[in-house]
Amino acid sequence: MKILGISAHYHDSAAALVVDGVPVCAVQEERLSRRKNDAAFPLAAIEWCLERGGVEPAALDAVVFYERPMLKFDRILTCALRAFPQSWRSFPHAMRSSLGEKVWVRGIISSYLDVPAKKILFTRHHQSHAAAAFLTAPTRRAAILTTDGVGEWATLTVGRGERHDDGSAAITLLREIRYPHSLGMLYSTFTAYLGFSVNEDEYKVMGLAAYGRPTMVDKVRRLIRSTPDGAFALDLDYFDFHTTAARSFSSRFVDVFGPPRNRYESIDLDTDEGQRFADCAASVQRVLEDTLIGIARMLHAETGLSDLCLGGGVALNGVANARVLAEAGFERVFVPPAPGDAGCALGAALYADRIHFRNPDREVPDHPFWGPDVSGTELARVAQEDGQRVDRFDDDALIDGIADDLASGGVVGWMDGALELGPRALGHRSILASPASREMRDRLNRDIKFRDEFRPFAPVVPSPVADRYFELPPGGARLARFMSGVFNVRPEWRERLGAITHVDGTARVQALDREMAPRLYALLEAYGRRTGVPVLLNTSFNLSGEPIVNRAVEGYSTFLRCGIDVLVAGDTRVLKRTSVLASRVES
Amino acid sequence: MLAPLHRWIWRDDERRVHKLIRFGETETDGGRDILRAAEVTTDPLLRRLYLVHAIDELRHGMLFRRRAASLLPSLRASTKRRFYADWIAPGGHGADDLEVGDETDDSMLAFLHLSEKAAASRFTVYRDVLADDGPTCAVFDEILHDETFHMNYTLVQLARVSPQHHKRRLWRARLSRLWKAYLRVAMAIASVLGGLLLIVQYFVLLPPFAWLAKRAARRETAGWVAISSDHDSITRQY
Repeated sequence: MKILGISAHYHDSAAALVVDGVPVCAVQEERLSRRKNDAAFPLAAIEWCLERGGVEPAALDAVVFYERPMLKFDRILTCALRAFPQSWRSFPHAMRSSLGEKVWVRGIISSYLDVPAKKILFTRHHQSHAAAAFLTAPTRRAAILTTDGVGEWATLTVGRGERHDDGSAAITLLREIRYPHSLGMLYSTFTAYLGFSVNEDEYKVMGLAAYGRPTMVDKVRRLIRSTPDGAFALDLDYFDFHTTAARSFSSRFVDVFGPPRNRYESIDLDTDEGQRFADCAASVQRVLEDTLIGIARMLHAETGLSDLCLGGGVALNGVANARVLAEAGFERVFVPPAPGDAGCALGAALYADRIHFRNPDREVPDHPFWGPDVSGTELARVAQEDGQRVDRFDDDALIDGIADDLASGGVVGWMDGALELGPRALGHRSILASPASREMRDRLNRDIKFRDEFRPFAPVVPSPVADRYFELPPGGARLARFMSGVFNVRPEWRERLGAITHVDGTARVQALDREMAPRLYALLEAYGRRTGVPVLLNTSFNLSGEPIVNRAVEGYSTFLRCGIDVLVAGDTRVLKRTSVLASRVES
Repeated sequence: MLAPLHRWIWRDDERRVHKLIRFGETETDGGRDILRAAEVTTDPLLRRLYLVHAIDELRHGMLFRRRAASLLPSLRASTKRRFYADWIAPGGHGADDLEVGDETDDSMLAFLHLSEKAAASRFTVYRDVLADDGPTCAVFDEILHDETFHMNYTLVQLARVSPQHHKRRLWRARLSRLWKAYLRVAMAIASVLGGLLLIVQYFVLLPPFAWLAKRAARRETAGWVAISSDHDSITRQY
């Protein structure tokens, strides 16, 4: 069967193609349109997936949209009615936005792809998250916990998934917490309060939290209370997100936490005001973690299962994931590389295949590389046209050369094979550098990523030696496979891994298996032979405000605009003329 | 001729900061569009020029943002909704929209030339009315210097890539800008009228349903909700 999955219209549109039960390809629209967090209907992504899979639209057995648009509209309309008359200002905008395009998904898909309406199916939003988490995870049975801002009505669901001996698979979602009571919205409200962009900058709150102390936990707990059945409820007096799209928090919220940060002013952590914002971030982070752990513990006790699959945008919170692994009772925690809405395209397609069509379960390759390939030839062409120094090598020579560049303090733009699905660069579109010094972290923030100085960088390390440098608990290596957990750097290595050790002594580790990215693995080994420490700093190959690069030419233009010294695509290496490394090579 | 109006617009400190921030965003967005043009063109010379241009635009965005940030502390906190006059005094590329992937090199160059020309003329007015604000004036001066280069190179390159038809291309781009301006105005009017109609419906039709919705909400208890079996069907949209 050929099934196309689509997510669209809110943030991170994407498409994925599943053929005979196995994903063939998947890509986020932003990587093709070059508009960060592109929420438009993912036409370019769909076209690319069909072309890559060699599938004509007429040959598709089903097209699955990742949520039920009418049910979502029901929630939007109901919330407008409940907030009457305060919602009068946001009502026209909400109606225009929904009725203009979002509720007509069946017609849109049908007209774009020319497929009959009966072939178009709709999973629920959290079903898609659950499927993306469970059906891609190498486990027979697992508890499932999905949580994000909001889908249709659900903001958090719990359930279980099982692969049976007869080859069938089942996902049973048992209960849900409904909007407006939402962990994701709680966190997003603080994201907005701290002057960051909602649905985009939540990870900055997590990074900032490490600089603060959770001194305001009691205040945050006024906003979210536990219910007698073990769930939670928000005190809506502190929020405005359910009545207007213009503001997330109410004046009462400001009375408790003080004036919000102006997004155009930088955070100075040496001032009381800057520290207040950091403490705020630390406090909401702590409450989020505690709430998630409470629910995960309850789920563990109820199901008695040893594995947990986490899905939804909140599962991008690596600090919370690591605490869930350590404290909730599960032996293993699986988080897919794209737990947010982009991954729902793949989740929806897999759900339709396994659950709706009852096709036998097939093993899903355990990697994130489902996007377009990069071409070394294309890079060589554009760089030669610009008179850059271009070299083409066989694999061994290339790896040795790049390891030398890294060991000499160079910063490398690394493009290899197929693009990652999801927000993390996991070794195919990465900026790599030495993890040794804090100066390198500052250089990357200042000259390459052009971003706030408090933002940390992640390390990548061969899985077999990860435990030597990082305190990985049992199950930690699995969580670190897709950079989904934050763990302590061993105290004796913190100085020697200064660029990737966050202010609180932690790092968002990627523990790499050779089979997942063999060339990067070989590079880590080669770098380790030169420096004694097979760890590299690995950050996404993009500049602030831009999507991760896809094609070689996008990597090349990024390379020219920042302080990256060396660019690699496939077998091609380009050395920047102005780089210190270039003069060393010449000499 | 519009100098007094612009002087009035820029006199207000809060509006000045808002406009600088918005200009910063517009320049950054424009820079990303031109960057995209650099990535899709097959002409190596254009790629290099576009890249320089894009870097300039991104830098302009930063200059505007920095100037706005330096003015921010002098503002009093205000929650009042203000009139910012964005459509009277637009930024660099104004409200021009661009689908870079759909443009040929010559149509892109014609578009850029006209946009830069329009931006330069607007920025000259803004610089002149801001004579009493030296640092902001200096920002506009620096940007205007770059705009001159952008205007010139786009025209020269247009003549190179389309020697026979470059004048026709420019006229077509002018007409296209005019058409897009008409569409923007029409859409803005339609949006206002549509919004008014929806607000009327909101207050006339919705109150009884709002009462029912509020009553239903009061009966709901917070906490877990069991998921019903109709959850599993994926043929429905609701």
